[in-house]
Amino acid sequence: MIQYFLNRLLQTIPVLFGVIVITFVLMYIIPGDPVVSMVGERYNEETIQRLREDMHLDDPLFIQFFRYVGNVVRGNFGNSFITGEPVINLIMEKFPNTMMLAVCAMFFAILFGLTAGILTSIRPGSFIDRGIMVLALAGISAPVFWVGLILILVVGVMLRWLPPTGFGGIEYLILPALTLGLRSAAYLARLTRATMLDVMSQDYIRTARSKKLSEWKIYLQHAFPNTLIPVITVIGTDFGSYLSGAVLTESIFGWPGIGRLALEAIMKRDFPVIQGTVLFMAIMFVLMNVLVDMLYGVVDPRIRLERSGK
Amino acid sequence: MFRPIRILILSLLFLGCVKEIDYKTLTTAFSTDIRGFDPAFATDIRTGKIISLVYDNLVRFDNEMNLVPALAQQWSVDLTGRKYTFIIRNNVHFHDGSLLTVFDIAKSFQRILDPNTASPQTWLLDRIIGAKDFMIGKEDSLKGLIISNDSTIVIKLDKPFAPFIQYLAMPAVAIINIKENESLTQTPSGSGPWKLERWERDGEIILSRNEKYWDNHPKTERMRIRILSEVMTQSAEFEAGSLDILEVPQGEMEYWKQYSYNQLDVDELNIWYIGMNCSRSPFNDVRLRRAMNYAIDREKIIHILLDSSATLANGPLPPQLLHEVGEMHYEYNPNRAIQLLKEAGFDNDLHTELYVAGGSEMFHVLEALQSDWEKVGIIVDIKRSDWNVFKTSVREGKPDLYYLDWFADYPDGENFLYPLFHSKESMTKRNRFSDPEIDIIIEKIQQLTNRVERQQLIATANRMVADAAPWVFLWHSKTTYLTREWISGFQPSSIFNANRYMNITKDPPR
Repeated sequence: MIQYFLNRLLQTIPVLFGVIVITFVLMYIIPGDPVVSMVGERYNEETIQRLREDMHLDDPLFIQFFRYVGNVVRGNFGNSFITGEPVINLIMEKFPNTMMLAVCAMFFAILFGLTAGILTSIRPGSFIDRGIMVLALAGISAPVFWVGLILILVVGVMLRWLPPTGFGGIEYLILPALTLGLRSAAYLARLTRATMLDVMSQDYIRTARSKKLSEWKIYLQHAFPNTLIPVITVIGTDFGSYLSGAVLTESIFGWPGIGRLALEAIMKRDFPVIQGTVLFMAIMFVLMNVLVDMLYGVVDPRIRLERSGK
Repeated sequence: MFRPIRILILSLLFLGCVKEIDYKTLTTAFSTDIRGFDPAFATDIRTGKIISLVYDNLVRFDNEMNLVPALAQQWSVDLTGRKYTFIIRNNVHFHDGSLLTVFDIAKSFQRILDPNTASPQTWLLDRIIGAKDFMIGKEDSLKGLIISNDSTIVIKLDKPFAPFIQYLAMPAVAIINIKENESLTQTPSGSGPWKLERWERDGEIILSRNEKYWDNHPKTERMRIRILSEVMTQSAEFEAGSLDILEVPQGEMEYWKQYSYNQLDVDELNIWYIGMNCSRSPFNDVRLRRAMNYAIDREKIIHILLDSSATLANGPLPPQLLHEVGEMHYEYNPNRAIQLLKEAGFDNDLHTELYVAGGSEMFHVLEALQSDWEKVGIIVDIKRSDWNVFKTSVREGKPDLYYLDWFADYPDGENFLYPLFHSKESMTKRNRFSDPEIDIIIEKIQQLTNRVERQQLIATANRMVADAAPWVFLWHSKTTYLTREWISGFQPSSIFNANRYMNITKDPPR
């Protein structure tokens, strides 16, 4: 198992290197000039030239690239062009906020998604099934931006149940987490329902029923664990994307996370911050995939045995 | 099975006791975060606004845009216009309790010019004698910066420069506690009326009142500036009572009219314009540039699309900076535009491109302009890009036409003339306009100290620029603020760094 884990980690190195190369090349292909964001309106040409030299922007591209890769290997993501602060500090400042939002959004998604999926699969075609599936379809189709604004207006402004936006205690977390987790919840509900219906038609479920086991026991102990492989895949992928920042949700709710940091950096052509955040997002995403891979073995003994070569 | 839902609803209801309004904290919002608290890098308005709250300058602007004493309790300029003498207050303390001295002032100025600081704001002080040599490391002190005694500092310029005293009110030349200059980006080290309590980047800035401030204290104990990038989010927060002051976004005036919130309109010192590249065909022809001005019905656009929240521009200068506003230079006259186009030899339709920054809220306005120009045979394609690409293109002189605005750094006509129309600036950064006669007048304005003569020359320059039409002069916009019923004493100024939120009170409605 450990051998497998280490192998999977080693396989991520070329992926991350690819991310570094692509991000770096894109930075220099897209039009715009980071110096423009730094100098205001009354600069003189000497200032522009001095800043370009300070930031090594006039060096040949391959020298800039190897310098950057060398620094990244040593754990140095560089300093922000705009504020001069180390990029790693900026990322570490934002990451706890992003993590908090991601965990909460995924909690909502799992709570609502799995519950709805199991409930609807109990009596397919019933009023509850149809009602929840319509809601799930709406949840998948509704744009995040729209959902966020509706929640702000209804819950925050009209009902005054929660602060519309902002950052602080748990009360500030609920609306952005609901907004971010809604799509995953809807998708998980549909996926769980479909997989549960498939599993419920299997022979071993018939056997369990013939043993007169209670329906809840059959659903939760025998059927549900067998739906987990696709469900874990979706949860892992979505959680990975949440950890790499949710630009729209963070912008609407004024949530200071990685997504907004990246967006601001792109607008200002703050190259070190863009490169740092993109690489960090990639690392999070890749790590989540490795974790999901490992979890397959936990939930399915067949995979575990296959990996250990038995 | 509905138990979890019931628990959630109950918990929402429990949380529904949303926090009571905090009458000790004034809350407002910015759309993007500041760059930091280092004055040397205050190149944008938002950063400048915050710097003005936590730092002090030698002089500052009051709400009516008058220059008033700040750290300098008095100042004088000699007859040559080159020597400035400042008498410094001896009772000012930095936030850490240390006394502010003339040495702090000298060091703060030197720091801006120091090549190691790499400040883009050196233009504010580079007229001091010896500044050029100091900036390239030839000298290790500024010859023109002289500490006469414990309370007097003298600044000598290499030649007379009238706006210099106004430069000293700019955020970039705020006085810092030099002992702590390492951490200025994150932690301010000033003596201003507000102290930084906490900065959550992209989240909020919380300031508290400086109880030991040398002048009157702010009336509210704390100030919270939230970073809310979405306009709709700001509006929702204001309606919910979580924001005390709202800057009404363009196009939302109609919506807010249904409410009875206190409304304050401020005539900003700004100009919105279409820059035309004067260095190459087709816009090197003044007749075409004038035709562009005559072809558009600005009054209609202001009335219908801008909710009358702007005043017509008659040249580049806002009326507040002119002692007399002359006759309107370009009335709406499509026939005159067609005639000018014919005279210039444009018998067929002229095709050109207008560059716009992507986030422009005024896109509907540009479409109206586009439609007016089309009526006289000027076909304009609108080309959108993000702000950085747009600004880079303008700097490189790529666009034939571009849509932009200019907000004053200080309330002086010179601030609209030199940076925008002097060939030294325009030919390298903007729309490549050059007129030696206008250059000479602008240089004279910079040197003149006689106020009356200077005002006359500013009016002359404004007329000459309007006549040369390097821009399509659009309008000077107003900013509308709404305040909640518990706010009183809010008086926004036309100049961004004059707003220090000193006299605002927040009391429960009776």
